[in-house]
Amino acid sequence: MSPDDPRSDGGDAAVDPGGDASPPTFEPLSVDAAGDLIEDVVDNVERVIVGKREAVEHIVVAVLAGGHVLLEDVPGTGKTMLARSVATSVDASFRRVQFTPDLLPADVTGVNVYNQKTQEFEFQPGPVFANVVLADEINRAPPKTQSALLEAMEERQVTVDGDTRPLPEPFAVIATQNDVETGRTYELPMAEIDRFAKKLRLGYPESDQEAEIIGRTAGHHPIEELAPVTDGHALRRARETVAEVRLGEPVRNYISRLAEYTRNHAQLGVSPRGSIALARTAQVRALLAGREYVTPDDVQAEAPTVLSHRIRPRTGSETGDDVVSAALSSVAVE
Amino acid sequence: MSTRGAGPDAGSDAGREPGRLARLLAPDQAWSLREALARPAMLGFALLTASYLRVLVHVTDVVGGTGALVAEVVVVLLVGAALASRVDARTALLGTGAVLVGGLLGYYSAIPASQRALIDLGVVLRDLFALLSGLSVFRLIQAEIWALAVLPAPLFGSWLLALRGEFPLSAAVGGSALGLFVLTGDAGFLTTLTGVVGAALAVALGELAPRRALAARWDTVVLVLTLMVVLSTTVSLVPGGDARPMLAGTGQPTLEGNVVANGDSVGIVGAIRLSPEVRFTVQSEREGYWRVGAYDRYTGGSWVRTGEARAYDGSLDPPPGGSITVEQTITAETTLNSMPALWKPVGVSGNVERATQVTAENGLRAVASISPGESYSVTSRRPVYTRRDLREAGTDYPAPIRERYLGLPDSTPDRVGERTAAIADRANATTPYGTAVAVEQYLESTKSYSLNVERPRGNVADAFLFEMDAGYCTYYATTMAVMLRTQGIPARMATGYTPGERVGEDEWVVRGLNAHAWVEVYFPETGWVTFDPTPSAAREETSESRVSQAREAGESGVDTGRSGSGEWTPTPAPTPEPTEGQDSTNGSTETPDLADIAEGRRTAAPGDVGTFSPGGSENDGDPSLPTPEEVGYGLVILLGGVAAGRRIGLDTRLYRFVWLRYQPRTDPVADVERAYDRVETLLAAKNRPRRPNETVGAYLDAIRATDSRVRTVAALYERAHHGGDADEAAADEAVDAADALVAASTPLLGRLR
Repeated sequence: MSPDDPRSDGGDAAVDPGGDASPPTFEPLSVDAAGDLIEDVVDNVERVIVGKREAVEHIVVAVLAGGHVLLEDVPGTGKTMLARSVATSVDASFRRVQFTPDLLPADVTGVNVYNQKTQEFEFQPGPVFANVVLADEINRAPPKTQSALLEAMEERQVTVDGDTRPLPEPFAVIATQNDVETGRTYELPMAEIDRFAKKLRLGYPESDQEAEIIGRTAGHHPIEELAPVTDGHALRRARETVAEVRLGEPVRNYISRLAEYTRNHAQLGVSPRGSIALARTAQVRALLAGREYVTPDDVQAEAPTVLSHRIRPRTGSETGDDVVSAALSSVAVE
Repeated sequence: MSTRGAGPDAGSDAGREPGRLARLLAPDQAWSLREALARPAMLGFALLTASYLRVLVHVTDVVGGTGALVAEVVVVLLVGAALASRVDARTALLGTGAVLVGGLLGYYSAIPASQRALIDLGVVLRDLFALLSGLSVFRLIQAEIWALAVLPAPLFGSWLLALRGEFPLSAAVGGSALGLFVLTGDAGFLTTLTGVVGAALAVALGELAPRRALAARWDTVVLVLTLMVVLSTTVSLVPGGDARPMLAGTGQPTLEGNVVANGDSVGIVGAIRLSPEVRFTVQSEREGYWRVGAYDRYTGGSWVRTGEARAYDGSLDPPPGGSITVEQTITAETTLNSMPALWKPVGVSGNVERATQVTAENGLRAVASISPGESYSVTSRRPVYTRRDLREAGTDYPAPIRERYLGLPDSTPDRVGERTAAIADRANATTPYGTAVAVEQYLESTKSYSLNVERPRGNVADAFLFEMDAGYCTYYATTMAVMLRTQGIPARMATGYTPGERVGEDEWVVRGLNAHAWVEVYFPETGWVTFDPTPSAAREETSESRVSQAREAGESGVDTGRSGSGEWTPTPAPTPEPTEGQDSTNGSTETPDLADIAEGRRTAAPGDVGTFSPGGSENDGDPSLPTPEEVGYGLVILLGGVAAGRRIGLDTRLYRFVWLRYQPRTDPVADVERAYDRVETLLAAKNRPRRPNETVGAYLDAIRATDSRVRTVAALYERAHHGGDADEAAADEAVDAADALVAASTPLLGRLR
C-alpha cells in the first residue's frame, strides 16, 4: 500500500496520517462490527445528549469520514457537551479552544519556548494537538487565527517556525459558530466553510426533553460518569472499513448530478471537495445501515448537512438548504 | 457611399454594380446534388412527378409516341440539375413561368396555319377554361404537341425547387400540374391518389427534415397519409370526373349512361346494368340503329371525340355514295340529352333546331336537354350500297379520314394486328370489307355476351381479344374498331340505340336497355357503314328478360301506352340491316368457321350465350387473386393500423406485456435488475410510478409495499445494482419472486396457475 493509496484519498487530504514513510496499517473491521461501533458510540453519547440522536449520528459519521463539523447555534444548546461526549466515548483526547478577538494563531497551534535548562527551544503544543478539538465561537477570532486552525484541519499537521508536526490521529474539529451576535465577529469565508464536512444546527430541545435534561443534570452531570465504548485503534480500523464500502457507478453519477444541479441553480454551487465529502459520509451512512455498498438513500440522508453550507444561493430569500432540497427532488436516482 | 465614389474605390464599386446578375448566377457552394437527392422528401417529389407524367405519357402514347416526351423529361431533368446550384426559389418560380409561356407560344405556333387564323386571345382563354372544366386533353387535336409544350414548366419548376429543398413550393408547382389533369379528367383515381400522397409526403418529409424529427413523427405522417387514402377511396366529395372513389358503392353504371350519354368520351367500364325505362318513341318509315354519336380517338381504355362541335346551320352534307331519304320523328319520354337519329342525318326540324349542334364526326347533339313529350324530326340520308360496292371500294381514303380514324396507342400490342391478319387470311379476305366481315364474324362467334365483366387492365381491345371470354357491346365494338385500324382500315366506335320494340307499322319504343355500341367502317365512295360484332341473339335475350323482370317487379316507366301489349308482333328482327337485300354483316356464306383461329380458346356458339341472367355472377367459379390495387390498399391500411397503434401506444403496451412476462437470463446482476424492473412496473400500475428522485426504499415505503417478495427483490436489486454483488442463486430468487408477482397480478393466468 503506497502512501498515495486512493482509498485514503477520500476526505480531505492525501497526506499520510502518520507522517512516516511506512504508516501503520490497520486491519479493517467487518461491516457489522463497524456498524455496531458507530451505534455504540451514538448510544453512549445519547446518555448525555438528550433527544438529538440525529445530530449525534451526523457528528459521528463526520468523524468516521475523517471530516470536521461546524455547529451553528445559539449558546447553551449543548454544543460543548456534545463534543466532549463524543471524545470521551471514543476514548480520545479532547481540547477546547475558546475563540476570542484577541486570540493569536500561536494560541491555537502552539509555540517554541526557550528552555533555560537545556538552552534549547522547546515546542509547547497548542490545544489543536488533540483527537477532538472543540473550537468554540470560531467566528469571534480574527481571520489570521481562524486560518491557522483551518489550515491544521486541512493539512492535519502544524508548522511552527519551520518545523512541521503531524497532528494526532484521529483528528476531528468541532467548531461552533454563534449566530445571535453578529457584531464584532469575523464571518468565515466560503473557502474556509468549505473545509467543514458538515454544518449542523442543534436547536432547542423539545420541552419534555428539556425537562429530562434538567432532571439528569440535577445531581452529578452525566458526562462525569461517561465511559469510553471504543478506542482510537478500533476507530482507525472502522475507518479502513469505511474506505472499503463500495461506491457503485450509479451512486457516483447521482452525486455528480446533484453537484451539477447546485452549480446550475445557485450563485456558487458545490465544489468537487463537497462531492467527495458527500461520497465519504455516504459510505459511513451505509455502514450505519449495515450495508457494504452505498445506495442513493445514503446520499439523500447526507446531502443536506454536507452540501448546504457550501452553496451561495442566487437570492437572499433562498438558503443553501432550499437549493439542496430542490436538487434532491429534481435529480433522478438510477 | 458618396465619399467613396471617387478614387481607388470606384473600381470596386463598379465591380459591385453588375454583381446582382453575377450573384444570381454564382453557384451556391454549400449545395450538393448528392445531398439534395438523398433527402427523403425526394420520394414524395418522385411520386407526384410520376403521377402527372403518367398522364402525359398516356396522352402521347395514344396520339403519337412517347419518345419525344421521354427525351424532353431527360433534358429538363438534366438542365434543372445543372442550374439548381445557381438559383433560389424566386428565380426558379420566375423561370417556371417563363418556360410555361414559352411552351404555350410553341404550341400555338405548331397549330396549322389554316387553323391559326381562327385563333385569337378569346379562343385561347376559352380553351383554357374548357380544359379546366373537364375537357379531356385527348380532345385537343394537337394533343401531343400540347403535352410537349406544357410539360417542361411544372417539371422544371418543381424539380428545381425540390433540389433546393423548397418542398412545399415544389409540391405546389407539381400539384398544380396534377390538378390540371384532375380537372380535365385525364388523371384517374390511382394517379390522383399517388400524386396527392406524393405531395403530402414531399411536404411532410421536407418540413420534418432533421431525421430525428422524422423518427419521432413518422407515425403521424403515416396515419395522415392512410386517412387520405382510405377516405378518398371510400368517400367522394367531388362527383364526376375519372377520379371517382375506387371502392365507392356497389352501384354499377347503366349501359345507357355509359355508352350514349353523348359526352365527348366513353370510358370503358366493368360490370354494367340495364335500364328498362322507356326513353323515346320513334315514328319512322324504316327501322335502324338510332345513332347518337361516334368516337375517333382510342386511348386504350376509353374513346374520345376530338375537335369541337359547331352550331347546326340548316343542312348537312349527304353521304358520298347513293342514299335514300328517311324521315323520323322522335318523341322524348324521359329527359333526353342526346338526339338519336338514323345515320346519316342531313336536316333537323322542330323546337330543338336552334339548340342543335353538329359534332366533329357529323352527328347531332342537343345543347339543352329535351324534355319529356317534346319531339323533333330528323331527315336522314341512309347510304345505299351493295356488297360489291363495298368489296370494290378500294383503299383510297381521303386524307382527313386517314388522319383521324387510323390512330392507335403506341402501346397497342403487335399481337392484335397479327391476330387480325390471321383472321383475315383464314377468311381469304383481301379487301377491307372482307376483313371487316371476318373480324365481325370472329368476335361474334368466339366471345360470349355478358354484362357482368371485370374491367381489364391496360388495353381493353387486346384484353378482350386475348384474355376475356365474354363482354358486352362496348367491348365488341372497341375490339373490332381497333383490329380494323391495325389493318389500315378506318373505323370508329358508334353509340346509340337499337331499334327497340316495334309497337306499330312505323312506330318503335326505345328503352334505356336498347343502348348499344357498334362499329362504323369507312369505305370510299360509300361513307360510313355499320358493322355490329355483338351477338344479337344473346343481347336481345338479355334485354327482353330484363324488360319482363322489370314488368313483373312493377317498375315504373317500362311501358308506354302502346308497348308491351302485343299489338305488333313479332319483335324486331335479330340483326337490323342497313340496306334491304344487302345482307352484308350477317352473311356467313363467305366466311368459313373462324372459331378455330382462337387457339385453345373456348368457342361459344351464339346459342350458348343465353344463359346469362341479369344481376347474376358469371365468374364466381375461380377464386381470383387480389389485384395489385387491393394488395396496395391492404398494405396502406396495415401500415395505417400500425401507425395508429403506435399513436395510441399499443406497441408499447404490447411490448410491456411481453416484457413483463418473459425474462431471458443473462448475467446475475442484469437478471436481478431486470426482475426488479418488472416488479416495479407492476407496482407502478397498481399504485403509482416511482418518482425519478425517489430511492427504491423510499418508494416502497411510500406505497406501503408490504409483500415480502417485493422487499426481497428490492433488497437483491440494491445489492446487485449498487453493490455489484449478485450470484446465480440471488438471480434465481429474484426472477422467481418476480414471476410469482407477475402471475398473481394477471387476472386470468394467475388463477390458472
